[in-house]
Amino acid sequence: MNDAAPRPGARGRLLLTIGLVMLAVLVAVMVLGPSLAPYSPSRTTPDSLAGPTAQHWLGTDSIGRDLLSRLIVGGRSTLLITFASVALALCAGLVLGLASGYLGGRVDLVVMRLLDVIFAFPVFLLAIAVVAALGPTVPNLILTIAIVYTPTLARVVRAPVLSVKRWDHVEAARSVGVREFDIATRHVLPLVVSPIIVQTSLTLANTIFTVTALSFLGLGPPPPDPNWGSMLAEARQFMELAPLTVIGPAIAIVFASLTFIVLANGLREALDVGSR
Amino acid sequence: MSDAGPLLQVRDLTAAFGRAGAAAPVVKGISFDVAPGEAVGFVGESGCGKSVTARAILRLAPEGASVTLGGRVAYRGRDLLQLPAREMEQVRGRRIAMVFQDPMASLNPVMTVGQQIDDMLRHHQNLSRRAARRRTVDLLGLVGIRDPASRADDYPHQFSGGMRQRVMIAMAVSCEPDLLIADEPTTALDVTVQAQILRLLLRLRHELGMALMLITHDFGVIAGMVEQVFVMHRGEIVERGAVDAIFRDPQHPYTRALLAAIPRIETARRSS
Amino acid sequence: MGAGTMGRMVLLRLALTIPILLGVSVVAFMLMRALPGDFAQAAAGTTSISAEALDTIRRQLGIDRPLWEQYLAWLSGALVGDLGRSFVTKRPVAADLLPRFLVTAQLTAMAGVIAFVLGSATGLASARLRGSADWLVRGLNSLLLAVPNFVVATLIVLLFGLYFPSVGIFNYTPFMQDPLANLTSLLLPALSLGLTVSVTISENTRAAVLEVSSQDYVMVARAKGLPRRAILLHYLVRNALTPVITVAGLQLAALLGGSILIETIFTIPGMGQYLFDSVTTRDYPAIQAIVLVAATVVLLMNVAVDIAYARVDARVSYE
Repeated sequence: MNDAAPRPGARGRLLLTIGLVMLAVLVAVMVLGPSLAPYSPSRTTPDSLAGPTAQHWLGTDSIGRDLLSRLIVGGRSTLLITFASVALALCAGLVLGLASGYLGGRVDLVVMRLLDVIFAFPVFLLAIAVVAALGPTVPNLILTIAIVYTPTLARVVRAPVLSVKRWDHVEAARSVGVREFDIATRHVLPLVVSPIIVQTSLTLANTIFTVTALSFLGLGPPPPDPNWGSMLAEARQFMELAPLTVIGPAIAIVFASLTFIVLANGLREALDVGSR
Repeated sequence: MSDAGPLLQVRDLTAAFGRAGAAAPVVKGISFDVAPGEAVGFVGESGCGKSVTARAILRLAPEGASVTLGGRVAYRGRDLLQLPAREMEQVRGRRIAMVFQDPMASLNPVMTVGQQIDDMLRHHQNLSRRAARRRTVDLLGLVGIRDPASRADDYPHQFSGGMRQRVMIAMAVSCEPDLLIADEPTTALDVTVQAQILRLLLRLRHELGMALMLITHDFGVIAGMVEQVFVMHRGEIVERGAVDAIFRDPQHPYTRALLAAIPRIETARRSS
Repeated sequence: MGAGTMGRMVLLRLALTIPILLGVSVVAFMLMRALPGDFAQAAAGTTSISAEALDTIRRQLGIDRPLWEQYLAWLSGALVGDLGRSFVTKRPVAADLLPRFLVTAQLTAMAGVIAFVLGSATGLASARLRGSADWLVRGLNSLLLAVPNFVVATLIVLLFGLYFPSVGIFNYTPFMQDPLANLTSLLLPALSLGLTVSVTISENTRAAVLEVSSQDYVMVARAKGLPRRAILLHYLVRNALTPVITVAGLQLAALLGGSILIETIFTIPGMGQYLFDSVTTRDYPAIQAIVLVAATVVLLMNVAVDIAYARVDARVSYE
């Protein structure tokens, strides 16, 4: 309250602005992708493992492909998988959390116990096992990551729904005969939206980690399509020869997850969720 | 040490919350003296600045809040407000001790009550672990805790509210201070326990010969406890005088209102 | 809380875990049997195999029987420590898993200690510096949180490979062979694993210290004239630690998941690397066993954290 630091509101807005600018960069890379890249990501040149030059700003990889182009195109696939899987997890989490919290009783019991089971597995270990079982294709990756992050989101939806559904305006809506589905979606959901937004942003950061980690282990989208995780793994093999090739993908991964962490912190302060 | 002058001499004390410039004044320049061994009472409703005054003497502000103090608080001629932090630590607890309102929250839940008195004795009086423990047990006995040797090893949650306030008092008098500040020491307690705690304070004051500064919102608590009364209202002392005189013939309308409230409070408590 | 109620609480908490454990076992089993991919073919380890030979394998493994029968057989085996036979080594999975499990347990324990020490120190600093340099600690925390552990590990490998090639970071030494060399060989892996987790602990420590700072007993300690250091250690830290320890306990799942990457990068023969190898060789019984063991450990750890909290809470709470 008597902090010398800027007021929470101002700091929240600042973080939010920075986060949104960073997000804009990511979205631009994702949407424009190949047209931003100076070369084709699969074009090989005899000039392999070269350092940064005027032609190749980030240098080339072991078979002479332009790293900047691969980074840009690889970002597209990394981010597409990330956004798609979180969108899927969010839908599942909304449905399960809302049903569980709003309907309560037996539905709640069954849904929450099922989610407890998924929750018991270390996230990354479960992701590996599921991808291993399904096979590493892009749709399977999206499905796997969605499954892994659904419980967290469902819980974040459920908790506030439990209290909001007892509020007066909900009772009032019910007494005048509004359909249950409409009450749940129009009168309860809007009031619990803030923590969900914050958690979604954090989940995006975690998903960046999971997607890149899976491809780092060779369980990501199949080659030859570039991906930040697999690029880091490739660079690692030639690290002694060309140490700088590690830097590009490493920074890209950190930048992407930092974007969502900054956004989450900004949103948390701006929306006043769990402030401390 | 000569007892010629007053023990505590407060002049134009001001206290304001918040940073300089945008500060909200809570205590607006009050002055009073406390003679050695004297008991004074501060009466006023909550928010009148009496607790802030008490804390200002020991320069205690709530954690995270910034309080700007002004004026002069002279203890045996030394201005406490100008004292370096190190020397202030030598005054706190040793020369001037304090008992707080809520005995439930005043004790550290993860230390035994014995440890919490020991650490003060060992710090201020350089006692050995063993000597500190002997003194702690004596003190707990002094404040009327039965079987003090084994109770010293209990944790705060194993004591009732009244017993915890006794522990707090034992702690406060452990270094035989010259002045004991008791800030609403009975407000959080049951009525029957309140009387016991007040009697204990009265007894210790005489046994140890210390001055007492009793702060309360309740005129009923003051009677029979103190010689001088200061009535505080909105950060100022609006009336002062000997306790009998004020009870008999209150001058300020606010004092009259407070006095008129005593019986009502008593009946309300009995019925609840 | 008496010993009797405590015992009952432990039993109740364990009883509540049993249905989840059963669910976990179903998931671990179904993952490998009900999904696409031929179990028998994986068992044979080759695709060029006659239909008759495949049928023989199916009968041997019992996968010609109904799924629920297979599950019960697998589960009853798992309950007595029989986790099946590896397709690759043909040895019992339990025998292959145990030594690797111990290595991972040591790595995660070391990472946990590093994360706890680092996190509580920075969290405490951040809380004490509130209003001045707090933003720096919190900013660094956010940045650290954004660096995944495999990136940290890769950068450490790069750094040491370039500048300190003599350190030899891939020299994993078994504990029984040379305890000291074992500890040093796991130091960097544990650091990369614990760094991200330390951020969670740091943020929680900060919140707990701020919460405790506003308690009356801290002001009482100042009124007692105790020196700042004593107040910090005996009043602030001791009280703030309780919630932090429980949060730290819940980070085990993150550490176990992360160990897969760290062990692969630093070539440490632990459970994580075993999982990675088993996925690569399609060693389904091994994958099932690892998934089951990891989830069981996490669940039991959660129970332990709950019980620890109840113990401390019983002492702390005023009722």
